[in-house]
Order: sequence, then structure tokens, then C-alpha cells
Amino acid sequence: MTLALSPSLPPAVSPAVATAVVVADRCSKWYGQVLGVSDVSWRLSGGIVGLLGPNGAGKSTLIKMMGGLLLPSRGVLTVHGRSPFHDTEVRRRIGYAPEHEHTWDELTALELVTAMARLAGVAAARAGRAAEDALAQMGMTAAMHRRIRGFSKGMRQRTKLATAIAHDPDFLLLDEPLTGVDPMARIDIVERIKQLGAAGKTVVVSSHVLYEIEALTSDILVIYRGQVLAEGNVFAIRSLIDRHPHRIRVECDRPHAIAAALAGEDHVVRISFERGAVVVETREPDTCYDQIAGAVLAAGVAVTALSSPDNNLGAVFEYLTGDGGRR
Amino acid sequence: MTEHDVPGSPAMIRTLAGITVKRLTRGKALWIGGLFAALPVLQAGIVHSWRFAFSPRELFVSSMLLLALLPAIFVGASVGEELEERTSTYLWSRPIARWAVLGGKLVALIPVVVVLGVGGWIAGNEVGGSALPSLASCLGLAAGYVATSLVVAGIAVVVPRHGMALTIGYMLVDLFVGEMPFSLQQLALTYQTRALAGFTGDPAIGAPLIALAVIAGIWTAVGVLRIRRLEV
Repeated sequence: MTLALSPSLPPAVSPAVATAVVVADRCSKWYGQVLGVSDVSWRLSGGIVGLLGPNGAGKSTLIKMMGGLLLPSRGVLTVHGRSPFHDTEVRRRIGYAPEHEHTWDELTALELVTAMARLAGVAAARAGRAAEDALAQMGMTAAMHRRIRGFSKGMRQRTKLATAIAHDPDFLLLDEPLTGVDPMARIDIVERIKQLGAAGKTVVVSSHVLYEIEALTSDILVIYRGQVLAEGNVFAIRSLIDRHPHRIRVECDRPHAIAAALAGEDHVVRISFERGAVVVETREPDTCYDQIAGAVLAAGVAVTALSSPDNNLGAVFEYLTGDGGRR
Repeated sequence: MTEHDVPGSPAMIRTLAGITVKRLTRGKALWIGGLFAALPVLQAGIVHSWRFAFSPRELFVSSMLLLALLPAIFVGASVGEELEERTSTYLWSRPIARWAVLGGKLVALIPVVVVLGVGGWIAGNEVGGSALPSLASCLGLAAGYVATSLVVAGIAVVVPRHGMALTIGYMLVDLFVGEMPFSLQQLALTYQTRALAGFTGDPAIGAPLIALAVIAGIWTAVGVLRIRRLEV
């Protein structure tokens, strides 16, 4: 099942497709007998998109195909209308940070990023400055003259990100950029990725950790066992999963009063009580919110908190992948 | 970006070669290669100190061993590790022609291999008390190192895992084939190098030069074709 919030791909290339950054049309990739991704059709127009799925789901395979490192076994994948595997020119517009840690440890961060900028086509006279700017953007100015061999995981991640942005690409592919970094670095890197998105760049960020993606964007592509399970806005996706009721938690002084007001409604699937709160499961969240508001006003209930535990990636991911999100 | 360099242009190859040299000078390979390159010097020193008659022909045997080792240590390891450790993902995602990656490495590493190999040969002759070796032997050896480096690069692209060990194995087999008294020896890099250097008794250099070029050309073509389709 693929839940799509955008229209399906038309058979012919429409103007909308022509302007899309990425178009994947029935794209599959096998590694011998092992399936990487299967029959993926997807169109990315811009913004920050989270590529979400457990380890081995096919996220890195899809990212590598977008980065021109892998060729689809079947189907077509284009970036800015061209094959990134065959077309060197389109790779100038791509910035890629791999998920692995291996890099040229003998070099300093500045040497590595300068070299990568040069190899991306930045003129020699400008490459050093571009590398310094990229490292500064990633908060690495103080360490840029140190060799990578002695870097922590967080510093390596920042350096990798700097290699991806140094040539000022408009499309960034960041494969697990937050893996293994400490909480403070994580917050910092998230902010910097958000800034890249705000600067108009198209960013694809993969992760198997739900809250990492949630902190970055609400636009997601959920991949599981090589297949796209869902795409679009996480809240809209949640509303499409009608077989899984939407939960609303109301913390208040008289939970039973709210429960009584909602008990007879057709859209209400289940009502349960927690300490100082009532949890309502409904198939029509908007209607339910209105009725809760009415009940609160009518009964004079004092509400201390109203939340929807389902409105996060964790819930969506668990719904879509069964046990995948609970690992 | 307004100023661009052409993918696969000399500027890109220069950049790749520069990175390769920088990494080489900061790693262990140069020291290990340097120690191996001293093998002919060691052999000549032992012969000289024991007052045995010095023979350049015998000294050339250790240079043939180096022909099996030095390209593998530098070129085989560099190309193989780049692919095996996936640092190539940084390169493949750049707007550069893939053959340029191989080209950049070879431009940087072949001179190092030639200098160490031929330098060891010259120094060995000096230590052994002989006059300077003939120019033909130096040029022949240099051509052998160039050809072997290209062969090793091709093998390392096709089989990156344990690239250095495999290429050493290949060259040891080549040494054996090169010593066979049949026309089979014509297929051996080591035999053709000996012929070019003037140690087979045949003064002709055209045939060995062509043979080296053909063997190296075949493996280079294999490497370039493979690297164009390589996925990481």
C-alpha cells in the first residue's frame, strides 16, 4: 500500500514533472538476489524531505540512486530531468553526504572540503574560500586545520556535511547525518540543515530514528522493505490511515464529563482513562475536536492539556510498518 | 557557481593527483615502499661485503621482485582501498568522469613507483661497486614499472577487495611465467621488462615495448570499462 498525497505520476512527462527535482518512475534496484528498492514511483519538487525507514529498508539505495552512485536495475530515476549516474553535469548540482564514516583521514578538514569543492567544479581560486565558508556553516572553523583522523563522530558528520555543501549545490542528499552524534551536536546540525532548506535548497535527509526526521520536517517518504509505504505530510498521512483511529488525549479535572459527552458518537471508537485524563480514539478528528470543545464549555471542565499522541512520526511509522517502529 | 572546470579535464586529474600525493606522504605506504626499494641495495651490500663477484644480472633479479611488490603496494592498495572502504562514494557523486579518478591516482603514483624502483636499481649498482647501470636498463625498468602499474590498477578495479595481495600474487605468477623457456614467457611483464633492460641477450627493444604496451593496454581498458559501470 502506498499512501500518496500528491497525484500519481502521469504516463507522459508533464510540465510539473519536468520542473521536479527528482522523478522516480517504477524504479527498482537489486543487489544480486537481494532487493534494494522495489517499484518506487516518486516525485520531489523541493523543500526538506525526510526519508524514513528501519535499517535495510532501502533508504541508502534510493539516496545513492539520486546521487548517481547506483543505476536503477529497472525503471527510470532522473534528477533535474537527467540521469545522475550517466550525466556528470547534473551531479554538479548535487551535494551528497554518505552514511559511512570512511573518509580520507590523512587530510585536514579544510583540505578535504577544498578538494571536494575542486572536484565538484569550483575554480581553484575560489575553492579554498568556499571550503572555509562551508566548514564555518557547519561550525567547524576552529577545527578545520586538524586532521580528520582525530575527529569525533560529530565532527566527522559536520565535515561530511561541509563536503556536501561546499560547491553550493541546490539539491542535497544527506544519508543518516545525525547518526551517532551527541544531543548538542544533533540540535546544532538539525538547525543547520533547516537553514539550508530555508535558503531554498532541496534536501533529502534519511534516518531510521523517527524524532530526528520529525525535528527537521513534516514532509516524509516512508520506506519499508524496499517499497514506499507513504509520502507527503506526516499529519495528512496520519489522517489517511483510517483503519487506525486518531487518538486525542485531554488532561482535565473531570475526564468523565468529556467521556460522557462523546460516548454515543459514531466516530468514536474507544474511550479510555488515564490519571487525570481521558483518551478518545476517533475516525473523525476534526469533528471530535469540535465536540470536545463543546463539552468543555457546556460542563465547565478545566482543561490543562490537549494533545494528540498520534501526531508524530513514531505513531505513523508504527501504523505503517507494523512492528517496525517499535524496535 | 559561475566558474566551472570541465569534468575529466587536466585540472580535475591534477586535483586528484594532488590529493593522492598528500595522502601518500602522510601514510605508511611510502615508508614501507621505501624499505622494499632498498632490497637491491641490501643485496649488493651483502655481496660487496663478502667480496663476491658483483653481477648486475643477479642484482636485476631483486629488481624483478620489486616489480611485483612496488606497484601492488602503491597502486593496488590505493585503488583497492578507495573502492573497498567506500571513500569512492565521495568521488562518484562529483561531476567528474570516472576514468579521471583512476587517471589522477596513476599520475600521482606511477612516478613514485618508478623513482623508488629505478632508484633502488641504481643505488644497488653503486653499493655493489659497479659503474652506473646502463641507461637502457634504467629505461627498461621504468617502462616495466609503468606497464605493471597500469596492469595492477586494472586488476584492483576489477577485484578491489585485497587488491594489493591479489596483484602481488598475479605478479609472482608473472615472474614464474617469465622464467619459462617457452613462448609463454612473452606474456610476462617481467620477461618483457628484462628484455627491454637488456638482460635476455636480445638487443631488440621494439617487440618488448609493444608487448608491454599491449598487456598494459588490455588491463587498463578492462579497468576503465569496469570503473564506468561500477556501483558503490
